[in-house]
Amino acid sequence: MSEQKFTKEIIRLSDTQNTIDSIVAKLKEDVIKVLRRRGGVVGISGGIDSSVTLALAVKAFGAKNVLGVMLPEKDSSDDSKALALKLADKFGVRVVEENISGALEGFGCYQRRDEAVKRVIPEYNPQTDKMKIGIPVEFLNSNMPPVFYVTVIFADGTEKSERLPMNEYLQIVAASNFKQRSRMSMLYYHAEALHYAVIGTPNKHEVQQGFFVKYGDGGADVMPIGNLFKTQVYELARELGVPQEIIDRTPTTDTYTAEQTQEEFFYQMPFETMDLLWYGWENGFSPEEVAMGMEKDEQEISRIFKNFERKKKTTDYLRMPPIHNY
Amino acid sequence: MKDQIKTFISEITFIEKETIADDTLLFEEGIFDSMGLLSLITFLDEELGVKTEDSDLNEENFQSINSIVAFLERKKSLVN
Repeated sequence: MSEQKFTKEIIRLSDTQNTIDSIVAKLKEDVIKVLRRRGGVVGISGGIDSSVTLALAVKAFGAKNVLGVMLPEKDSSDDSKALALKLADKFGVRVVEENISGALEGFGCYQRRDEAVKRVIPEYNPQTDKMKIGIPVEFLNSNMPPVFYVTVIFADGTEKSERLPMNEYLQIVAASNFKQRSRMSMLYYHAEALHYAVIGTPNKHEVQQGFFVKYGDGGADVMPIGNLFKTQVYELARELGVPQEIIDRTPTTDTYTAEQTQEEFFYQMPFETMDLLWYGWENGFSPEEVAMGMEKDEQEISRIFKNFERKKKTTDYLRMPPIHNY
Repeated sequence: MKDQIKTFISEITFIEKETIADDTLLFEEGIFDSMGLLSLITFLDEELGVKTEDSDLNEENFQSINSIVAFLERKKSLVN
């Protein structure tokens, strides 16, 4: 048993301003002194994580030393741009828009992805239909590793889901990852052209559970919110003055053509719940203590803890740098 | 059949066949992850002619070599 009592409030920041100050001080130290860059580039999507990251970067380097880069492509949601512009305006940073659809066409991103979808659902017409992939929630309640399903939403509104065989799953993921990797390339272009660092936007769950693309959104020089739970990211957003529309927006993957929340795609539970469970697991609370604090079933918590363990282990590869000590 | 499955698991996981016992818990002990499971499903379909339905995807059917063999026997008995 841990000394501290597990409650639903356990991950709330005791002093949000103090957390901001210490992240900002470290960010400044890391970028200016350690990396010897003179500012930061942040890819902004109108989402909460990139908005908080941009706001922190502005505090660390000053608005004139921060560049916001919008990186839409043809599957991006329409309101992302308006929100990203509102954010840049609020914090007074320069912003550039780089549409990466052409680069993605060149890589064959859409074509390779759609070929794989069509092998599983031959009726899929990428011109008119939308698609997404996800894990059914039932997998959370078992000790089985999850398998992904593809869902096509046809033009008439009907849907069809099929379990993805390995080759098709891998091809869809590999093709879609061109998006994050193209964004990373463009961010480094701007960073190098300005002698800035790339300020990454993944939060703690994304880093620890491997919900990022290696050398894609996982490719950055620093990740200032990489140790913050989503609940805490929202706390910082309010304190930093991130526009309310961004705070109110449901986090999406913005990766596939059909709309999809992050919860649906990867986490399988609301982030408030995920935060508490991960905190409990990471800090050595027993399933019994967490179950009591969250008014949940102990067996369910044990299963989720096992899933966390597995997720951490299977995604170690993503967090590893190249191995060069031969 | 048991040996065929063991050989397959050993080949895709690079784990010595002799170290995988019939009742080794494949997921719990970290031998198999999602990719391993998907490979196995494809192997069962293509090499042994057994299709895994969505409703078959549970621990009871896949947690160990013994479970997989029992699952295959059940499926085959349904066909015959």
